[in-house]
Amino acid sequence: MRALVVFCHPSPESFTAAVRDLVVARLGARGAEVREHDLYARGFDPVLSPGEWAGYLDEPGNRAPVAEEAADLEWCDTLILVYPTWWYGLPALLKGWLDRVMLPGVAFEMPRAPGENIAPGLTQITRLGVFTTCGASWWLTRWIGAPGRRTLLRGVRLLCAPRCRTAFAAHYLMDSSTQASRARHLARLTRVLDRFLA
Amino acid sequence: MRALVLFAHPCPESLSAALHARVVETLEARGWEVDDCDLNAVGFDPVLSEAERRGYHEVPANLQPVAEHVERLRAAQALVLVFPVWNFGFPAILKGYFDRVFLPGVSFRLEDGRVKPNLTQITRLAAVTTYGGTRWRALMAGDPPRRIVRRAVWHVTRPEKMRYLALYDMNRATEAQRAGFLDRVGREMERF
Repeated sequence: MRALVVFCHPSPESFTAAVRDLVVARLGARGAEVREHDLYARGFDPVLSPGEWAGYLDEPGNRAPVAEEAADLEWCDTLILVYPTWWYGLPALLKGWLDRVMLPGVAFEMPRAPGENIAPGLTQITRLGVFTTCGASWWLTRWIGAPGRRTLLRGVRLLCAPRCRTAFAAHYLMDSSTQASRARHLARLTRVLDRFLA
Repeated sequence: MRALVLFAHPCPESLSAALHARVVETLEARGWEVDDCDLNAVGFDPVLSEAERRGYHEVPANLQPVAEHVERLRAAQALVLVFPVWNFGFPAILKGYFDRVFLPGVSFRLEDGRVKPNLTQITRLAAVTTYGGTRWRALMAGDPPRRIVRRAVWHVTRPEKMRYLALYDMNRATEAQRAGFLDRVGREMERF
């Protein structure tokens, strides 16, 4: 198993960092090879520049500004994203990682003929995991429509292997979490991960 | 009446830029005072920093790093978002505007752990957007940007009027379809 873990939280002491540590530990226990991208620590720039936009369709030159990220994305068979949900979605930094790295020729193929659709380009990815925290309750998140979860588990999922397995776990009402609720979440996450990685 | 237009495309030759120009012109012609905010041009930093995360709930100190944007948002009676959909969502620069400017004490208040709307002076809300994929493809993914605007932003503004204007399948759209969409956006903004 080759796992790419993308971590996006500004604070190394956050609960999200503890979730990341657990994910990495469970991957290690399965003997997976792990590559980790800590987007804040790397100072990743989430803004797609005018130059990148102008050259967006020019493969393979389009991947030059994000060569390492694109190579790791193509290398992995297990993609795991760990982040806090802000405004019902991904932090801008993680959204920008999608904008800049999920390029034509990397993550998908643009239609080549009239009537053709966009084709998936990450079909080597057979596991997609999303582990997050939400300030909102489960009910409010669902009513809004869980845009973050859908962006990844439906949108990005469309680019992966047709039978790609998915896993999702969120600690809701994060702002009123307690030591006990956080410990319960980590225990649940361990079970989710062990099923997911089995 | 004042309208804040948030624009999030890096390139001036894009269809988004043409839509942006049409929105601004039409609103001005109808007598709106337009506060035009081109996020790429002003070099808006979309990354919420560690210090901002730690101080997120400390009203009013939390709004200090983005005070100017908060003031412009509070002064608006209409909010118009003009952006392309990339990877099933807002461009990062616009997502970061929500992360950093739509703060507690600005866009919402927490009362007993419940989110209460705090931008109710905004009575008009619109999004003008383009999708590379088809409507069906967007729906397969649950159309996250449409939900963010129609539910999450609606939830904190409670506008009397809301429009979500989208051109799907832009990669295959003809010149006529693009022009038709521009005209539709112009008509909607006249009535706005």
